[in-house]
Amino acid sequence: MSYTLRGRIESRLAALLPLLAAACVLALALHRWWPVEAAALMLGVGLALDAQAYHRLLPYQPGWVAVPLGALELALLVLLMRWAGIAAPVEPAVALFVAGWLLAQLLGHAGFPLLRLGYAEDGGELGRVGAAAAVGVGVLLAAAGGTAYALRPPVVHLSAGVHRGPLVIARREVLVGDPGAIVRGGIVVRADGVTIKNVSVVGGDYGVVVDGYDGTKLDRVSVSGAKLDGIHVRFATVMIKDCSVDMLGNAYGQGIDISYTMDHGMNMIEGCNLVGGMEGIATHSSMSDIAHNTITHTTLRGIAMTEMSMGTITQNEVRNVTGVGIVCNDHSMCEVERNTVVGTRPSPVSRGVGFLASYLSEADLKHNELGANPVPVAVLSNSILRRPGRS
Amino acid sequence: MTVALVGSGLAGFTAYQTLRVELEPEEIAVFGTDVDPAAAWRRRAAAIRQREMRSESDGHCLPRSFPGLAFRASARRRSPVPLVASFLDRFHPTVDEFLAHVEQLRERSGWERSVRETRVERVRATDGGFELDGHGTFRHVLLAPGHPGLNVPEELRGDPRVVHAYEPHDYADTVTVVGAGLAAATEWLNALGAGAEVVSVRRREPVRQQLNVPRAYFSRRGLDAFHELGPAERTARLRALLAPSYPRGRAWDEPVGRAAAEGRFRVEASVNGSAQVICATGFRRGFRSDPLLARLVDDHALETADDWIVVDADATVPALTDETRTLALAGVSAQWAFPAADTLVGAKYAAHGFLRRVRSCRTR
Repeated sequence: MSYTLRGRIESRLAALLPLLAAACVLALALHRWWPVEAAALMLGVGLALDAQAYHRLLPYQPGWVAVPLGALELALLVLLMRWAGIAAPVEPAVALFVAGWLLAQLLGHAGFPLLRLGYAEDGGELGRVGAAAAVGVGVLLAAAGGTAYALRPPVVHLSAGVHRGPLVIARREVLVGDPGAIVRGGIVVRADGVTIKNVSVVGGDYGVVVDGYDGTKLDRVSVSGAKLDGIHVRFATVMIKDCSVDMLGNAYGQGIDISYTMDHGMNMIEGCNLVGGMEGIATHSSMSDIAHNTITHTTLRGIAMTEMSMGTITQNEVRNVTGVGIVCNDHSMCEVERNTVVGTRPSPVSRGVGFLASYLSEADLKHNELGANPVPVAVLSNSILRRPGRS
Repeated sequence: MTVALVGSGLAGFTAYQTLRVELEPEEIAVFGTDVDPAAAWRRRAAAIRQREMRSESDGHCLPRSFPGLAFRASARRRSPVPLVASFLDRFHPTVDEFLAHVEQLRERSGWERSVRETRVERVRATDGGFELDGHGTFRHVLLAPGHPGLNVPEELRGDPRVVHAYEPHDYADTVTVVGAGLAAATEWLNALGAGAEVVSVRRREPVRQQLNVPRAYFSRRGLDAFHELGPAERTARLRALLAPSYPRGRAWDEPVGRAAAEGRFRVEASVNGSAQVICATGFRRGFRSDPLLARLVDDHALETADDWIVVDADATVPALTDETRTLALAGVSAQWAFPAADTLVGAKYAAHGFLRRVRSCRTR
């Protein structure tokens, strides 16, 4: 088909309208915005490519070209979703795209030609239907945007100074600490969808505890002096970015402990700096992405993915820890890539291991720097280690 | 009855199928010399032993492009192969499939209830319509008179060795094929297949393209710019676009290449001593070659440009079309609006424009 620019845009809008409507319904059902965000991004990517590339490069577009163009749009969509921080589960998001693509093919080859006699000779233009589709897409996006705006959680500012804790957050809100805002005695999250930004927590049994609530975001939160764990997560999902956890002097606590969250979805720990404690980051029965963190001076392990956990451990730096740098343990499945583990010291129970796979675990190691440890890599108790590259 | 089609060939038949979206057979009058819409086309296809259409899935007579012939072939054969081939622009229906499709449409559309087997020699504009040679006055008329006749180069007329490609013929031992289009290429292969030695005589190297004109000219993508050209530019563009062409592909090139290597195929500048001369030189061109169109132009002083009657983008004649009446052209005579007007897609294009006019006329 030889599309006109208007034809491309009208056909795309009309084909995406049902998908956008379905995404809105899905968002309502899931109480998550990612379907609408993904569909809107899909539309944006498509329209940008239509206007800037396809129209100029494809004066005629054979049917088969829709396949590589679809793959290109999917790749761009995934990249942009990551860049924009849209937390969509991969498989449902890809399924949404594929459904939209198939629907567009079906409508382009059959639906629109049936609807409009001269669809092909008009270069994909749909006349009034095209204009109505544009209005429909605009109305849906405006309605979704308006709803999102209306449902924004309230923002609570924590003023500079020391606030006596434990601070209990029992509703969906964004807690933003002004410079110098400190909570002494810990923060307890008791609602879904809580965001905590720029807050320092000192003392308490746990610095921050999230038990049974999903969608918590911790952004630039610092914790020090906790008696047990710095950040303690159970039966919940969290996204932790750019945190700082100081556990020096605490021989048995974990910097971040995320446990028993397998049924709740992925967790993310990124860009954190953890010092001291028994373990820097520990996950039990959880799915997690652990990336770009720095862990030092722990007394047992730097990063532990254990008890049937799954996830990725990428581009972390583990320095001067005692015992084991990174461990994949107890039936866990770990992808360990481009990490640096140096200066691991022996402990009474370990000879100083850079990476350890133990007790029926499976680990994929790629491009890690593990050489500067007494034992760079160890495998115990029927675990499987795959190392296609240098590790 | 207010709507009439003059011409009962494939262009008229395609227009009829489009009109049937809105009108009953009793509301449409079709004037033509043959009740079989494919009669003329079938004779020509048989003469050049054509087995496959040059057109693709949408080369059919239905008003909508979907379901096309690939979809129907897939359903009939219970195989995805035709659809996949169409997806790759490799699907060409067989001539038999196309003719069966025409026959099926003819039976179910009420065509025979609308056809009046008579030739219309003259169309005259009257108040609010057109008088068709004593057969009545109609508010909306589409003229699809077809090709005005076979073209044989003047220097070859009267030569007893000469036969036109579109007339029934066999092949002599030595055959000269004059022309460079699809019929000529088909005749090269036919004659070579029959064991003949073939000489190709042509004024220019053939253009190699899948369809009659570049694909952009089948949609507004190319047509909008074409419609904006002035008369001189548009005439030049039409001459360039309508130069003889045939598809690319090994099926065409390999037999010719093999025969050339064996000394059985060569290109020459003029006809020489072959036992048979096949003129694959298409049809006579221009509205002056068609008595009906020539009279129409003369009677109404219509604007023309070189060989073509000047029509609007929707193939209607501007001087004779207004909010109360429509005179439109279809088939080869509508090339001023759609360069590939003598294709099935071109016939649909003119038909869609005609239907829009009929729809918009409150007094139809």
